[in-house]
Amino acid sequence: MTWEDGVNPVPEEVTRQRQSGAAAVRVSGLWKRYGEQIAVHGIDLELPAGQFIGLVGPNGAGKTTTLSMITGLLRPDSGTVEVAGHDVWRDPAEVKARIGVLPEGLRLFERLSGRELLAYTGRLRGLPGEEVDKRATQLLDVLDLAGAQNKLVIDYSTGMRKKIGLAAALLHNPEVLFLDEPFEGVDPVSAQTIRGVLERYTRSGATVVFSSHVMELVESLCDWVAVMATGRIRAHGPLAEVRGDAPSLQNAFLELVGAQQRGAGQDLDWLGGGAR
Amino acid sequence: MTVTDPLGTTAPAPPATPTGSPTPVLVALKLSLLRNGLRQSSGRRAAYVTSIVFTLLFAALQLLGLIMLRGHDHAAALVTVLTALLALGWAVAPLFFPGGDETLDPTRLVMLPLRPRPLVGALLVSSLVGIGPLFTLTLAAGSAVALAHGAAAAVAGVAAVALDLLVCVALARAVATANIRLLTSRKGRDLALLSGLFVAIGLQFVNLGWQRLSGENGLAVLEPAADVLRWVPPAAAVDAVQGVSEGAYGAAAAQFALTAVTLVLLLWWWQRGLTQLMTAPDASTLQADAPGRASGGRDTGGPLGRLLPAGRTGVVLLQTFRYAVRNPKSKASWVTSLAVGLLVPVVTSLQGAGSIYSACWAPGLLGMVMFNQFGQDSSAFWMVSQTISSRRDAYLELKGRAMAIGLVALPYVTLAVGIAAAVMNRWDAAAETLGLGLALVGALVAAGAVASAQFPYSIPQDSGYKNVAPGQAGLAWISIFGGMIVGAALTAPVLGMTIWLHLSGAHELLWLVLPVGAVYGLLIAEAGLRLGAPRTLARLPEILAAVSKG
Repeated sequence: MTWEDGVNPVPEEVTRQRQSGAAAVRVSGLWKRYGEQIAVHGIDLELPAGQFIGLVGPNGAGKTTTLSMITGLLRPDSGTVEVAGHDVWRDPAEVKARIGVLPEGLRLFERLSGRELLAYTGRLRGLPGEEVDKRATQLLDVLDLAGAQNKLVIDYSTGMRKKIGLAAALLHNPEVLFLDEPFEGVDPVSAQTIRGVLERYTRSGATVVFSSHVMELVESLCDWVAVMATGRIRAHGPLAEVRGDAPSLQNAFLELVGAQQRGAGQDLDWLGGGAR
Repeated sequence: MTVTDPLGTTAPAPPATPTGSPTPVLVALKLSLLRNGLRQSSGRRAAYVTSIVFTLLFAALQLLGLIMLRGHDHAAALVTVLTALLALGWAVAPLFFPGGDETLDPTRLVMLPLRPRPLVGALLVSSLVGIGPLFTLTLAAGSAVALAHGAAAAVAGVAAVALDLLVCVALARAVATANIRLLTSRKGRDLALLSGLFVAIGLQFVNLGWQRLSGENGLAVLEPAADVLRWVPPAAAVDAVQGVSEGAYGAAAAQFALTAVTLVLLLWWWQRGLTQLMTAPDASTLQADAPGRASGGRDTGGPLGRLLPAGRTGVVLLQTFRYAVRNPKSKASWVTSLAVGLLVPVVTSLQGAGSIYSACWAPGLLGMVMFNQFGQDSSAFWMVSQTISSRRDAYLELKGRAMAIGLVALPYVTLAVGIAAAVMNRWDAAAETLGLGLALVGALVAAGAVASAQFPYSIPQDSGYKNVAPGQAGLAWISIFGGMIVGAALTAPVLGMTIWLHLSGAHELLWLVLPVGAVYGLLIAEAGLRLGAPRTLARLPEILAAVSKG
């Protein structure tokens, strides 16, 4: 396996940014309304480069909307987003070449085989055919998809779809990778494979931003977290800072969003053993 | 099962073994499903009642028509052919409309302790409840009335009606059961999505057939077909009534026997299918350990891929062709355009009212494929959107899609014009028609490129009949009708030239329309792509939002 020299050499620019503590993503005053409902409530955020970053929050907190606006898939009502120093909406060419995206809902070209999907994506991104083939073969191997490379994506399981989506997002060796709920519905074996690839990728100096509502996962993977609830950022910073004195990120998070554990003693007391 | 002891303090009753026949339960289940289906929404109720009224009206008219045919020379031939056609309909219906009948899917009964033989009987009886069997009953009864003369024939008629109905229903169930793996798999659902297309093309043939039959002495055309079909069950049983009326008892008995044997064989096939279905693993289990191929290899797109231009245009072109073959919605759109475009000139000329210009349906329908290009990508369009970062990217993306249409259009429009010219013997006008056709394709591609960026809408991927997501119908109409008008207007210069050459009597110069039309088509398409590209680039998030609703 020649991952380091074949697919993912450490980009010098990224290394420099990491050393100087530059931001991979800079968001300011980001708003999004859907009719009456405000999905994203004026977010200001700087995500440090070269880190494994978790965007956590309950369902409906605005994580997906925020990630969509950061990656240029959804136009914000107001506010600016810079990725690696380039404005997402004024300078899309510079940004799109530098980011990889795995959106929520696994929306892929279902009627292509895994390998065809990678070939198609790579060539749309302007990579030479030979290079696309080489990278695709390595990614399919590492992600344990080589056996299913000629099957149509529509026949893939959830774990396989997440993995082929990840492969498509990594193919052009982006500086920043955005993943929306990458472990949702994924079996433990595939999750471990995805995790291994992501850890190797961040070690080389790249930035991973991923959203999740599974706190244990975020706690075990991330160096840096941002907590979202009802369209606002409630806390952000290095994991240890956000966790503070709380025993786990889960507790810290419940405190932050104000959802203290309700006493479950008095209700449902008939449930379980004893008298029927 | 005891119900007097809800707390379950006594020992549970022994498991109920099915002693009686499950028939009344399944019939009741079928009736409940019908009733509950109606309760779901008033729209559905209205649709159902309308369909019942229309079916009953049609059945009544048919019954009346058949009774009036009584004594007609070719009555036997007609009812034989009609019965055979209806049986064919019963055989293919479950393949195209798998969701039509809830009791049809026996896998839902798999957890119940039922033996195959009583189950087949019960399913057969419950299948007799519904509009389809009622329609078949009226046709069979009408056929019997049309053919039966005398008491013996009347008795034979009753037997024929019963046999006909049972064979039709058993045939549908047996086919459905044998194909249940297919029906519940992706391939089966894809097939069902194409059903609308088969219905549309089938209607054209029915239309053609009707034209033939309604002519003078038209029914005589049926005689050769009827000679064969009168030995094919269930048409054999219906034809036997005629035999009994004429005193040909031997042949009639043979026909009845043939139909009865067929019914038994169908029931046996159905029962075998049921047993196998309920005891064998289903498709999802089998799929899990499908063998994988070795790693390595590359995707060059096959022989076609090597011929395509390098760069984005070629990639998009290949993708468009792949989707035209693999994605049922794209396939339906392509096949409809190609088939209907060829059928229209042939049908109109066979009806005697054809003009060679009707060959322009072919380029017209093919050009419409360019409309709502991004809707065909559905929500996967984000993958395209992520790679379009300049006006040039957007231009090449549109160009690849337009070239796919152009590559098909050139031979296809030539073929359509050639067929029309041959059928109507108008080779003199072939060149100008081809020129007009090519200009029309170019104009529609141009309008389609702009409309794809300006009026994108979602195409629901899971329904065979819905081609627009709820709430976007207005957008689709604007896109399609506005596009057609603009497309027609853009063809005006070439059309004007053709008309002018005709009016001024310069018929020897009409061939000029061909090169002019071809060049004009290319230029106008290019202009449309250049106009559509910046709009596509500027509206990427809006397009993505619009096409992701399906």
